[in-house]
Amino acid sequence: MKILRIGAVGLAAALVLTACSGGSTDDGSTDAAGGGSEGAEIRVWLVGTDTPDEARDYLTSTFEAENPGSTLTIEEQSWTGLVDKLTTALSSSDSPDVVEVGNTQAATFTSAGFFAPLDDIEADLGGDDLLPGFVKAGTWDDTFYAAPYYAGSRIVFYSEQILGDAAVPTTLAEYVETAKSLRTADHSGVWFPGQDWYNALPFVWENGGFIAEPGDDGTWEAGFSSPGGIKGLEQVQDLMVNASNAPKDGDEAELQVPFCAGSTTFLSAPNWIRWSIQAEADADTPGCADTYGADLHAFPLPGAKAGQTAKVFAGGSNVAVATRSGNVDLAKKALTIMLSDEYQTILAENSMIPAKKSLASALPDDEFTQASAAAAANAELTPATPKWGDVEAQRVIQDALVKIAQGGDVESIAADLDARIESILNG
Amino acid sequence: MSSTTLQAAPPSAAPAPRATRAITSARLLPWLLLAPSLAVLAVITGYPLVRMLWLSVHEYERAQLLGVPAEFVGLDNYVATLTDSRFWTVTFRSFAFMVVCVVLTITVGTLVALLLMKLGRVMRLVLSVGLLLAWAMPPLAAMLVWGWMFDSQYGVVNHLLTRLTSTSWTGHLWLIDPLSFFAVAALVIVWGAVPFVAFTLYAGFTQVPGEVLEAAQLDGASARQRFFGVQVPYVRSIYVVLIVLSMIWDLKVFTQIFVLQGIGGIKSETSTLGVYIYEMGMAQGHYGAASAIAVIFTIIMLAISAYYVRATVKEEQL
Repeated sequence: MKILRIGAVGLAAALVLTACSGGSTDDGSTDAAGGGSEGAEIRVWLVGTDTPDEARDYLTSTFEAENPGSTLTIEEQSWTGLVDKLTTALSSSDSPDVVEVGNTQAATFTSAGFFAPLDDIEADLGGDDLLPGFVKAGTWDDTFYAAPYYAGSRIVFYSEQILGDAAVPTTLAEYVETAKSLRTADHSGVWFPGQDWYNALPFVWENGGFIAEPGDDGTWEAGFSSPGGIKGLEQVQDLMVNASNAPKDGDEAELQVPFCAGSTTFLSAPNWIRWSIQAEADADTPGCADTYGADLHAFPLPGAKAGQTAKVFAGGSNVAVATRSGNVDLAKKALTIMLSDEYQTILAENSMIPAKKSLASALPDDEFTQASAAAAANAELTPATPKWGDVEAQRVIQDALVKIAQGGDVESIAADLDARIESILNG
Repeated sequence: MSSTTLQAAPPSAAPAPRATRAITSARLLPWLLLAPSLAVLAVITGYPLVRMLWLSVHEYERAQLLGVPAEFVGLDNYVATLTDSRFWTVTFRSFAFMVVCVVLTITVGTLVALLLMKLGRVMRLVLSVGLLLAWAMPPLAAMLVWGWMFDSQYGVVNHLLTRLTSTSWTGHLWLIDPLSFFAVAALVIVWGAVPFVAFTLYAGFTQVPGEVLEAAQLDGASARQRFFGVQVPYVRSIYVVLIVLSMIWDLKVFTQIFVLQGIGGIKSETSTLGVYIYEMGMAQGHYGAASAIAVIFTIIMLAISAYYVRATVKEEQL
């Protein structure tokens, strides 16, 4: 009996010790990462598939050549839920070193101190040569935190064999009418998923509406229920209900799939989707280089008046160094490589507008890039306030658009949307 | 013990201290054995609980994660939560959903358990393996497959329905209407929960003595009367456990709803409490407010389980 008792207590003590030892492994790894620049591992978080493989290889090999003994790993994240993922990761002791964020999300992080200031290397990164709009998005309280990475905008793609005899529209109203006329039960005039708010914004802007503007006293006023906003949303509803067979609650991911299936005439998508469409049919992400990709063309979304382009959403990303990175100096070196002329030229050759204005000449001279450059010249951004990240995280605009796509009453939906946006921005 | 030592007077001095030492160490032993588990529980469950309470009475946003000191705001977070109409909508929605899921889980679980009892050996093995596979599948992987099955363009469900009915179901969106969304969610959650209920009830039903059932049958009781009159009372305590556990799990559900929301539907109309807390805390960075909601939620769940704990304690005292 006594032996049994001792044995039981001993076993219990052993279990306690194993439970305690589980916690110490975390401290071990952070020590290794933080101690000096010898043998450090830098983690770079890129989002989505936009950055081409050539650029990723260049970054890894150049960094490892310039910093012998250190390695660089690229980890790919998805756009969905990026803000929560970054918040958790950047505030933990296991933070990545360099992160890419959407330009509209940068303010959420710069205002809370998640990024290390880049003022000391701003000149090395490019100084005045950097895209001004993106520098502004990455600056908070006069400190420069997030550098521009690349820019892009949406253009309208079509395949000549599907468009046939119809004329390429020259005004926004013509675009809506052409798309409606080309729609049948199993073929869309334009592929417009219900949650695609980036493509809904140009209609709001072109009709005189706005997302949100600060008043004189600093309170934000949302503009979806302004007369211009309602007109724009009604055009969006017209397209979603009468010209598109896309899922009413679908989003803007994998847009090359319906295009390559021949399900739509027009597709409004970021200019680099051209590479996905023109990929071979047996590539990892299959495209349709032989069929609809063979006679692919594009034009910038036409404006309200002929000869003008519509105001489109200014897409693109910023890139920054995490405050809690284990090795801020090495991370800044990796960032400098990402903004170097060679790296940005690779991006430019892949139809992504580079972060430096001087490298715009490296962009390929084809109609896609010209269309994208014309569109980007007239690009607008979301309101510059850290609370905008909350509006995006709660998906209020997407929810409202899904209701509009189902044929709901535009005026009441717009009024509710504005009330929600204002309560988040001012609350 | 004491009566024997009084009668046998001479050797009374020696056995008495040994006897009391045995009694005190016998009383201490359970606590000693429990101590390691209690220690682990205190760290894994107790510390987060205390931290959650602390967070709920402070204003804690993203900036505080990086070292900005948090301001003590007392019950402000609680007041803000209890006066927010969205919170009440989400809570009622969660409760309604929980009731539906629990009723379905227990009913289907009971039926499957009765089926297991009636089947022959081979079919019982096949059914058990199927149930185990459903239970063992990780919820996230299961959600991806269910999401593909209910896909509007290429999903199996729409394809089969088009074949079975004469109308075309291609393009039918399952997740866009909140009721339809929750029907799909209930299907997936019940599918994952039935195996546990079925196996537990099967084990319970096999313990019901065969003679009592035979006697009831000889007395002329129908199958239904035998079930409700004999089998259910025998496994009553198992039912209580399963119902309380199912209530807590279905109220807490997060993975299934979160993944379905990512696939489609209108987020604001389909959030339950688990997803709402995540959205408030992780997605928006209002950790103080999210902790207040979580504390209120914990109190509700404690109330539900208090009933079970009281019933168990009363039973043991009998």
